[in-house]
Amino acid sequence: MKFNLKALPVAISIAMAPSIALADDADAKIAKLEQQIQALQSQQNANLKDKVKLNGFISGAYISSDNDAGYNSADTSANFSEDSKVGLQATFDISDRTQAVLQLMMRGEYDWEVEAEWAYLSHRFENGVKLRGGKLRVPLYMYSDYLDVGYAQPFARPPEEVYGAVPFSSYTGGGVSYDVDLDDSTLTMQMFGGESKVKSTGTDVSNLIGANVNWTDETWTLRAVYGQAKFDGSVTSEADYTVLQLVDDTGSFTGVGASYDNGEVIAITEWTRIEVDAAYPDTDSGYLTLGYRIKEFTPYVTVAYMKTQDNDERLPLSQAAAIQMIAFNAERMAYSLGLRWDAIDNVAVKFDITYADDFGDTSGGFLNNSLDTTTGKFIYDDTLIYTVKFDAVF
Amino acid sequence: MKTLLSVLAISLSAIVSANAAVVVIGNPAAGNLSANDAKKAFLGKGDSSVVVYELEEGNPTRSEFHQAVTGKSDSQLKAFWSKQVFTGKGNPPATVPSAAAMKSAVASNPNAIGYIDEADVDATVKVILKP
Repeated sequence: MKFNLKALPVAISIAMAPSIALADDADAKIAKLEQQIQALQSQQNANLKDKVKLNGFISGAYISSDNDAGYNSADTSANFSEDSKVGLQATFDISDRTQAVLQLMMRGEYDWEVEAEWAYLSHRFENGVKLRGGKLRVPLYMYSDYLDVGYAQPFARPPEEVYGAVPFSSYTGGGVSYDVDLDDSTLTMQMFGGESKVKSTGTDVSNLIGANVNWTDETWTLRAVYGQAKFDGSVTSEADYTVLQLVDDTGSFTGVGASYDNGEVIAITEWTRIEVDAAYPDTDSGYLTLGYRIKEFTPYVTVAYMKTQDNDERLPLSQAAAIQMIAFNAERMAYSLGLRWDAIDNVAVKFDITYADDFGDTSGGFLNNSLDTTTGKFIYDDTLIYTVKFDAVF
Repeated sequence: MKTLLSVLAISLSAIVSANAAVVVIGNPAAGNLSANDAKKAFLGKGDSSVVVYELEEGNPTRSEFHQAVTGKSDSQLKAFWSKQVFTGKGNPPATVPSAAAMKSAVASNPNAIGYIDEADVDATVKVILKP
């Protein structure tokens, strides 16, 4: 009896061994099949995902000012529309080298009207030349290509002194770009041409042509740009008075920029010069932003300026010239103190206080800053604006 | 004192090797990769025939890798890719969920590169760069 008891488990285990081995074998086979199915499924999903990509970005902003000068359209009441926007982008891969990109934008500034900001077809040739045609961004500034994607920018908004000088941001036409891969950096040359329209005034922008060159090693970025166009249309005041009639007048844009970002220290600077025929203002502008990343916080400071260079063309010798002088002569300095907080995945929250002053004998470039004819002075000689903003990508 | 120092030295070297453990892997047939080419590849630049795989966001090896190779933190990398995407310049690389998936992805394509912790390296892949 004792013997039997001892032998029993041995007998059982001997009897079961083949079946365990069999089960192991089956499990392994099933696992392998499951893996194959998963691989096939993910391949199929990947094929679909590879062909069409959907992305989006959204910004919500609160802005307000200490007065009604109208910096970035802010006034003393809270404004949630001016800097709030939504963008949706679909990228279709037509072939390995050809793609269609459609980016629809809705901006609070324009009553959430749907507009195509990018809508183009691009083809990349084997030698590195890329052709694009359709509706594109005018690549005049360092942030032009992603002007509305706040998440990809360190500041609450690109400095208005510089970015506010050109009243159109996209064009219809074409462009060609060429990437040169250097040892540990990339040089990109780009040419563009087409036409546009100034949304606020209806001024026609034709014969738009330009080129830029950009070099980056992902720490340093240097760029230079030149562009020109012809302008037709009337420039009117807030009260619908025609201040200036542009007829086939040529304007040119020259800009240089540099940035440095080593992961900790950020420095960005741009300088631009705009020259337009006739009495339309010629403006120089520039800014320097310095920032420092401390984990998810990036405090920054910006100093920016703008100044019209051709005030002597608008001497008050006639009433028309006097009105042009009041409307067009402008200068100001702006100082910003801000913080970008990478609060959660894909969402950055930004706080910014910007103070502008040193308007000289001008409105500072603010439409709502009118001349008090009894004192001969403009109503406001400085302005302060507050911004709280979130920028998200998805 | 001597023991204390050596304990300190050991723990220091442990920290250092833990930080330096991520390696770039390629197909066993692949040649070595330079640090510059690795940086370009993982930022979607350079040779377009290279197929790049990333670990998923939030994976500590991913953060460690980018700190060493592209010099970008998680949020900087996200800002970089959002810039590329919304200017039509490119899309972030495909992601895989684990070191095992990374190895099988890289092993099955001669043009693929990826990165894993050095401890996970086996014969199916080749270390092509130790950043």
